[in-house]
Amino acid sequence: MTNKGLKISVVLIGILFWLGPAKAADTVRVGVITVLSGGQANNGIVDLRCAQMAAKDYGTVLGKKVEVIERDHAYNAGIANEKAKELYEKENVDVIVACPNSGAALAVAEQALIHKKPFLASSAGTSDLFGKRCNRYVIKWGYNDYMLATTVGLWGAENLGKRWYTITSDYAWGHDLLKLFTAALAKKGGMHVGNDMVALDTADYSPYILNAIKAKPDVLVLLNVGPDAVNATKAAIEYGLKKQCKIIHALLYEQMIQGPGVEIFSDDYVAGPWNWKVGYPGAKEFSDKFLKAYGERPNYSAAGTYSAVWQYLEAVKRAGTTNPEAVIKALEGHTFSDMFANPGYIRPEEHVEVQKAYLFKVKRPEAVKEKDDYFDIVGSLSVEEAYGPPGLFGCKMKGF
Amino acid sequence: MDYHFIFMHLFNGLILGSIYILLSLGLTVILGTLGVVNFAHGALYMLGAYAAYSVVKLFGLHFVVAIVICPVIVGVIGILLEKFLISKLYKLPHYYNLLLTFGIMFFIQDAIKIIYGPQGVPFNIPRFLGGSVDLGFMLLPKYRLFIILLTGFLSLGVWLFIDKTKLGAIIRAGTDDSEMADALGTNISRTFTLVFGLGAALSGLAGVIAAPVQDVGPQMGMNFLTGAFVVVIVGGMGSIGGSILSGLIIGELITLGIIFWGPVSTTLIYVFMAIVLIIRPRGLMGRAAFFE
Repeated sequence: MTNKGLKISVVLIGILFWLGPAKAADTVRVGVITVLSGGQANNGIVDLRCAQMAAKDYGTVLGKKVEVIERDHAYNAGIANEKAKELYEKENVDVIVACPNSGAALAVAEQALIHKKPFLASSAGTSDLFGKRCNRYVIKWGYNDYMLATTVGLWGAENLGKRWYTITSDYAWGHDLLKLFTAALAKKGGMHVGNDMVALDTADYSPYILNAIKAKPDVLVLLNVGPDAVNATKAAIEYGLKKQCKIIHALLYEQMIQGPGVEIFSDDYVAGPWNWKVGYPGAKEFSDKFLKAYGERPNYSAAGTYSAVWQYLEAVKRAGTTNPEAVIKALEGHTFSDMFANPGYIRPEEHVEVQKAYLFKVKRPEAVKEKDDYFDIVGSLSVEEAYGPPGLFGCKMKGF
Repeated sequence: MDYHFIFMHLFNGLILGSIYILLSLGLTVILGTLGVVNFAHGALYMLGAYAAYSVVKLFGLHFVVAIVICPVIVGVIGILLEKFLISKLYKLPHYYNLLLTFGIMFFIQDAIKIIYGPQGVPFNIPRFLGGSVDLGFMLLPKYRLFIILLTGFLSLGVWLFIDKTKLGAIIRAGTDDSEMADALGTNISRTFTLVFGLGAALSGLAGVIAAPVQDVGPQMGMNFLTGAFVVVIVGGMGSIGGSILSGLIIGELITLGIIFWGPVSTTLIYVFMAIVLIIRPRGLMGRAAFFE
């Protein structure tokens, strides 16, 4: 290399080094990992838009602008791992939020620990995030699998009947839910009269529905999502099982109903932490604003992402810095109220955000008056009931 | 063991088999005649379901109209695909068309996602086929009875067409030796186009029939496609009778799996396929030209 070339290179590298941190110091950078391609993209886009909306609504923090940088993980844990690395290292984000798919969220949680930067997991449900694989940099926000299963189990055994039959998707998530759910059911003296493990992407559920009919249940619980939930529900209607018993879904929200239509899910039950009709100040306004901007209502998972971004920025304000340790200390043990949780509390001993849980019943088509207005609130559970006692999942929180 | 319960399940397995037969008929006709492993078959099936949605929900026409029109729509799309794309690759090794149809599958799926959105569309059982019939040993949904009857008629129709008509004879001749048939004065390329159109139409019809009982979404063809391939291979490639027989066997195998041990049910059909291929590589009713 010539002397001149060397000088130019040194200057260029110098500029790059000078630009890098300068760019990061100007703004607070919020990374969003979600699913923006493939069959689940319609859920992911709502997640992303909620994060963007929260950043925009919040404005500036400590005199800095808030910037949202998104990455698509295509519902894949391996890609999520790479994208998290990229966001923390190259994009120099201060925090990562969202990330549906439990395996993907656990991978991002590992990256958060390696890079010593926060991850607010608002879109995946596994209790491992605040259980065995918890770490100081990760906070589980909004719903989680334990809360969903426990809420329907406890409330349902009291209000819907005692004999329960389950149809479970045969992978980690389904097995997890089944375990949590039967435990909750047993607490209230409910009887688990049978279960079928069903391979993912099964098109014809009729044989399983025949099994369920034979068990004469009061309640049929579908521990599956997406096309599997639709196929199972359609078969239950076809074979007349829906007339004989109530149906509970493990996970069902607006974006999952839009496609197959509300009619097949009518009168079914599902749990969740939030709905735009919970009556918290700002909840309806937030949902209406989103509806006006994007033509659909945000689901509870995406609303949780909005809340996570908002509360992160609040914590930055309280801490007076984006220093990860300081922000996490500002979040631990903090009680807050926003459109999503009123009140919400972040348990310091296991890093899970807890709030009141709700039971929803799906409306009949003729009762749906507004776009995405699919649910009636029929019950609720306290934090203690829905989330269990702290430390239930064996989290041993370490220092920084 | 509760025999009544098992009998009920086995009967229900016939219906599951019927859906497999519907899907594999088109696949086997194309495979047997053109030698094309049509990976776009699942996508054409999905197109049939979306066509039914458009006809019934968007244009407000009767479900019976959809059953008649939609296979024609999908058939025409099939004819265009064969004429302008697939026919160009007949002279090249088989895997060229395999790759092409694989690409066509993605193209159709993405086109549907752009037009109708990725989240699927609603489609429920039409009112006149709702409810169920009491068969004495079980309450059978009317719609499932309809599927069985339709599959029966359709299988008979396709078999009569291939076996008894002049056009069917030309198709069979073309399968045996297309160059000779061409030399004897039949327009074999036109026949091939027609066969692909017919196969596509059958697949589209299967999609229309499945729409009310399944989640209608861009991926819906994928779940059944692998099963349909197993049916075709077990039955013997190109054999209509073989497809019907193996469709019924596969339906019952899945059902038996579910009765006795759920997790094994989906694996069972592949084990069965492996056994058949070891003992009789040409499939149950296949001709010796393939693999032997």
